[in-house]
Parts: sequence; structure tokens; C-alpha cells
Amino acid sequence: MLMKMAHLSEHLSTVSEAAPVESIDWPSALDLDQWFMAPELLSLHGCELFDALDEKTRKRLSFYEAVNFFSLNIYGEKPLVAGLADRLYARGFDEVSRYLHHFLSEENRHMQYFARFCHSYAGKIYPEKKFKIPADHSQAEEDVIFFAQAVVFELLVDHYNAINAADERLAPIARSINRLHHVDETRHLAFGRRLLAELWSAYAGDWGVPTRLKVRSSIDAFLNLTWRQYYNPEVYGDAGLPDPYSTMEIAWNAPDRVAFRAKVSEEIQTVLRQAGLDDGGRA
Amino acid sequence: MMRGATLSREEIRCQLRRWMVGRNGDITLEQLRDDTPILEQKIITSLQTLDLILLIERLRGAPLDVTLLKPGSFRNVDAIMQSFFEGGAHA
Repeated sequence: MLMKMAHLSEHLSTVSEAAPVESIDWPSALDLDQWFMAPELLSLHGCELFDALDEKTRKRLSFYEAVNFFSLNIYGEKPLVAGLADRLYARGFDEVSRYLHHFLSEENRHMQYFARFCHSYAGKIYPEKKFKIPADHSQAEEDVIFFAQAVVFELLVDHYNAINAADERLAPIARSINRLHHVDETRHLAFGRRLLAELWSAYAGDWGVPTRLKVRSSIDAFLNLTWRQYYNPEVYGDAGLPDPYSTMEIAWNAPDRVAFRAKVSEEIQTVLRQAGLDDGGRA
Repeated sequence: MMRGATLSREEIRCQLRRWMVGRNGDITLEQLRDDTPILEQKIITSLQTLDLILLIERLRGAPLDVTLLKPGSFRNVDAIMQSFFEGGAHA
């Protein structure tokens, strides 16, 4: 089924094998009076509440938002690693198994440095607030949803990684982690986008409109759920802001943030459409 | 929204019911009972559980430890009340 993927899989495997494993310089302690996320990416940016904060508090907020960002990366990559392992040498995935090993290995390495940052400097990983309910999808639907969710998740985090990696205001360790993640994700996205297009092409022709709608809705809901996790009340509490749950609602509904999410979401939807994912006839 | 400590149990049930009806256009407040199976009947989906958890945290005024959650914790409004507000492991 994935014969067309064999060449790309071999090429990306060769690149992964040749890529040097860069080390990160881990300070023994961090001065929190630095930026750990680009201020424009902070969940409160553009809100009156943010404008009223002094710079020291904004930087403290940026530290806890970075811890939240790395935490949600861990929770995004854990099921990805499990799903990749499930598909190693599985029927239909033989042609890409060599690269799946690299994909899996690199995701595992990412989780290690995300967790090390969180534990070393914040003393914790923020708990995940998702609760998975088993769904009644066929294996083909599961495969499409799995790789679509991987592409959506990686596009979203890579938007943050690319901006943070290039921002000279950030603490060196924050830039390093974002840069290393961005470099590997570039390959994962090239692979994931192509694989998603192949899977959709192979399966969706046999699906009726209700199934295509169900799969597409599941992917769209996943994007919304992922966005929601960037607005964590525990972050606001740790940064010393009052009434964390009200702050979360203010941030989520702020016009600046709504516009930001809409812009990035549209970029992600464009990628999904380029992979052939239609909306099941909704349009 | 008022904080959990100031809400009666009936007010909390009412807020939970309103939230569920607000997320699902196929059911009304009159149709949703406290023993209606909200997951089996797909009144809320897996991807809406994050918002439900945040609502419960807000009504309780304290975070949940998601690692302790069981599938039955969200079975219906009665189960949510029992699990998080009336003596369950999280209450």
C-alpha cells in the first residue's frame, strides 16, 4: 500500500542516521528573570491583564508557559511513540518501518529533554487533563486519525519551536530545546504529511460521507483540544496571577488570542487539505 | 461563575447539566437526567473531557489528579457528583 513511501522513508532514514546528536548545556539552576517563550506566543499576550503585568512577572509567566509547553509535548509524544511502535512491521507499513524506528527514537529523545527541563527547574511536569474514551473506529480510520493527529500536533508545536528557536531574547537552554525539536520535526512532518496523503488516498475513496465526516470531525476536535491545553490554569497560579480559572477564560476568549489561533489553525487546515483530506462534503 | 465552595450540590448539578446541554445540540435540559449515560449516548465526546475536567475543577475550586480517574467517574451526572463532590476518591 505504501510503496510510494519507500524512497522517502529510505532518504529520511539516511538523513536521520547522519544527523549528529547535539547535546544541551544544562545549567544547574535557572534565573527566572529571563524569557523562556517569545512574549508574543504567551497565552495572555494581547490581553489587558498581560499589559498590566510588570516585566518580571511576564518573564515568570513565560517560564511556566514553557514548562506547560514541554509538558504537553510529552503528552503528545507518548501516544505517538506507542502508535509508531504498534505499526512497526505491521501489515501495510513494511515499506516505512526503517524510518519508523528513527521517528520513534527521536520522539523518545525529545521526551527525555522535555522531562529533564520540567523536573530540573520546575520540579514537576504539569498533569495531563485529557481522559480518553474508547472510540468505535475501524483500523483504517484509526490509522488515518493517528497520523493526522500526529501531523496536527507537530505542526502546532513546530510553529512555537520555530519562533522560539530564532528569538534571541530567550534563555539559551529554551532556544536550544526548541531548535533541536524543530530540526527533527521538520523530517517527521515531511514523512507524516506524505504518509497521511497516501493513507487518505488508499482508504477514503471507499468511505461514505458519514465516515469521512466522522474522521474529519475527530481531527478538527483534536486540534481544538490541543489548543485548549496551551491555556492551563495551573500555569497562571504558579506565575502568581489571581483567580487562575477566570484568567484561563479571559485568555482563551481574548480577541488577540482568538485571531492568533485562527491564523495558525488555518495554516494547519491548509496542510490537511493538501494531503487530500476533504470535509466529507460539508463545504 | 461562582466558586465551588459557595455552590450548593443542586447548583453544581444544574451547572453540569447546562454545560452538557450546551455542548450537545441534540438533547434538552428536560431530556437530560442525572442518570443519563453521557458517554454511551455520546452527549459528550472524548475530546470534550478536557473542558469537563476544567469545569469540575472550577466548581470544586481545586485541581483533579487525572491519573486517579476511572471510566465510571464520568458515566453520568450522579457519578460525577459522587466522584468529585460527594465523598468519592476526588471529593
